[in-house]
Amino acid sequence: MGTTQLLFWLLSALSIFSAMMVLISKNPVHSVLWLVLVFFTISGHYILLNAQFLFIVNLIVYAGAIMVLFLFVIMLMNLNKDAEPQKSIWMKLAGAISGGSLLLIFVSVVRSASEMQSKQALLKTGNIGLIDQLGKTLFSEYVIPFEISSVLFLSAMVGAVAIGKKH
Amino acid sequence: MPIQYYIALAVILFSIGVVGVLTRRNAIIIFMCIELMLNATNLLLVAFSKMHHGAALAADAATKVGVEGQLFVFFVMVVAAAEVSVGLAIIVMMYRNVHSVDINFLNRLKN
Amino acid sequence: MNAIILSAIFGVVLMMASAFVSNRSLYKTIALACLVLLVGANIAETLGYSFFTIDTHNMLAFNKMGLFFNTICFTATLLYVFISSSEIERVDNYTAEYFALIFFSLCGIAILTSFNNLLMMFLGIEIMSIPLYILTGSDKRNLKSNEAALKYFLMGSFSTGILLLGIAFIYGATGSFGLESIKVGTLQMQLSILEVTGCILLLIAFAFKVSAAPFHFWTPDVYDGAPSVFTSFMASIIKVAGFYAFVKLFESRIETTSFATNPAVGVNWHLLFAILIIATLFVGNITAVFQQSVKRMLAYSSIAQAGFMLFALFSVNAFSKEGLYLYAAGYCLATIGIFAVLVRMKDYTFEGFNGLAKHEPTLAFATTVCLLSLAGIPLTVGFFAKYFMLAAVVKQGYAWLAIVGVLFAGVSIYYYFRVIAAMYFKSADENPAAVATSSTVKIGLAVVVAGIIILGVWPHALLNFLYF
Repeated sequence: MGTTQLLFWLLSALSIFSAMMVLISKNPVHSVLWLVLVFFTISGHYILLNAQFLFIVNLIVYAGAIMVLFLFVIMLMNLNKDAEPQKSIWMKLAGAISGGSLLLIFVSVVRSASEMQSKQALLKTGNIGLIDQLGKTLFSEYVIPFEISSVLFLSAMVGAVAIGKKH
Repeated sequence: MPIQYYIALAVILFSIGVVGVLTRRNAIIIFMCIELMLNATNLLLVAFSKMHHGAALAADAATKVGVEGQLFVFFVMVVAAAEVSVGLAIIVMMYRNVHSVDINFLNRLKN
Repeated sequence: MNAIILSAIFGVVLMMASAFVSNRSLYKTIALACLVLLVGANIAETLGYSFFTIDTHNMLAFNKMGLFFNTICFTATLLYVFISSSEIERVDNYTAEYFALIFFSLCGIAILTSFNNLLMMFLGIEIMSIPLYILTGSDKRNLKSNEAALKYFLMGSFSTGILLLGIAFIYGATGSFGLESIKVGTLQMQLSILEVTGCILLLIAFAFKVSAAPFHFWTPDVYDGAPSVFTSFMASIIKVAGFYAFVKLFESRIETTSFATNPAVGVNWHLLFAILIIATLFVGNITAVFQQSVKRMLAYSSIAQAGFMLFALFSVNAFSKEGLYLYAAGYCLATIGIFAVLVRMKDYTFEGFNGLAKHEPTLAFATTVCLLSLAGIPLTVGFFAKYFMLAAVVKQGYAWLAIVGVLFAGVSIYYYFRVIAAMYFKSADENPAAVATSSTVKIGLAVVVAGIIILGVWPHALLNFLYF
């Protein structure tokens, strides 16, 4: 087992563990921190896959901006006590069982996908994840969705102001 | 690395997110679990993009197959950022009125 | 392209208007003028005059069908704004922002009628939905509105997650996000079970968006909690646009992933859709019978109507396509009409409608026509909409499903007639139930009623536009 494989298993185990901890933690601040760790491990996977641009964007946008926003809101609300109302144990059990069966369905799909058996994800090599490749495609073939997402941001901005402003 | 490992990892993370959405009542935690689901699909998209790239690389060394998968991830992040700003604004608005982020606040008031 | 670019620009215009125009009553005039221009520009593009020539790299594909659907949606919005602008002004003092958000939502609709790539579909859905989360929560001090916005937002992003996983699976199986290349690709290579799973996930995500059972549970709370004037927009125009995207996405894929073409991993789509349709019709109609509030009854009835619109997905043929257009127009007209009356009521319960015919005969008459159209009574457009949908199913050889549809349409007559009975046969024990209506509302309602009846007598007035 080479270093890459070792890293893959390490990162995967860590990301699943911290994703579980997001669920289990009672304190919302701990949940946020565990989620940041999940995002870091996923960024690690991006590095393994040589998707360098997404690695840095994932760190800056997700682990940086978005999670800090979450943390900020939680601290603003002073939710760091165990004040969260709990669902009844039966509801939790039902949720866990339905999530588990969903996972079971997905796993069986993956196992029965015979044409995927022999396919490999290219690790370490391949230059499509580099910023010049992505940038060229983004501003030539993908320029329409790029421009249109500005409408999305505009509406989010207008909405956040209209809703967030106090009277 | 076999692509199935990546698919398995992504669906595990996705399912954890789904369980979180179903079992928690704190709106912020639910929202975080949704972000977890989005990240799981992002990972899956990148893995698939590298898979298609690897398959095309054998035929043509300068191929650009697979770029679209990574750009899709980029757009998912764009949308997620917009969603977060709106979602947190809604959560803050609700918190201002009821001092709680419980999704079933009104049900609790009735009981 | 006209519609997408101009609706975004008009959204910005209204956004700017809120900063630079101090006269607040001017906003609705600007909004109406912009909508008229938008409808005009869209019709111009249908006739072949596109103002912008942009290479979309096959991301978007404009055809007459989609552009005509745009025209229906924009015209309905024009009517909606014409009738309800005074109510929108009353929600909060962000009138211009609300109009801007409505325009951004229309931009999303224009993308959803022309997408040729799963990326554009994803962006279109998000652009359409995000303004709605805000409009739902716009009544900031009303706790019900707050909770509705939160639930709508969480359910919306949850279904986005499912949608994305479906897209990722399809990408993994086919190596492309395009609608067209998927069609070509699957015929060449062997169908992958990943693509089938992806399609089912997309089905679930869209079922969430259009509130088909069993993914409908958010709808009553959200429709009930949102300010009535915005519920009208959500329940009419947004809903039919969602259905158009739903059908557009699946009509290119049902064939290749079906059980018939690929016995190994294909899906029995007809069975799946039939279950979805029957569940939706059952939940919507049966629960609507037991409601005490007219607004909540309309929320459940919108689920029931979604069941009928799902017939267009079940049988993709020319009949169901025509039916979808007719349904879109008729359902928008009736919903806008009935909500225009509802927002003027003080009391949303059935008792609140008691004796409306005596005090406000015009309002009562308009409500009656809208309700008859929703129930599918002949001489209204609702009848032909349902007829086309059911005829399409019968043509496919599934007469039993059509019979189920007719039975549930019969159930729906019960709860629609409860309102009519309350208006005409019961007397109010108190003072007038509705606030006074302005002449604008009356003109708007007259247009709604005229539209319902004209299309009900002569549906080809609308459908002929599809073929000229």
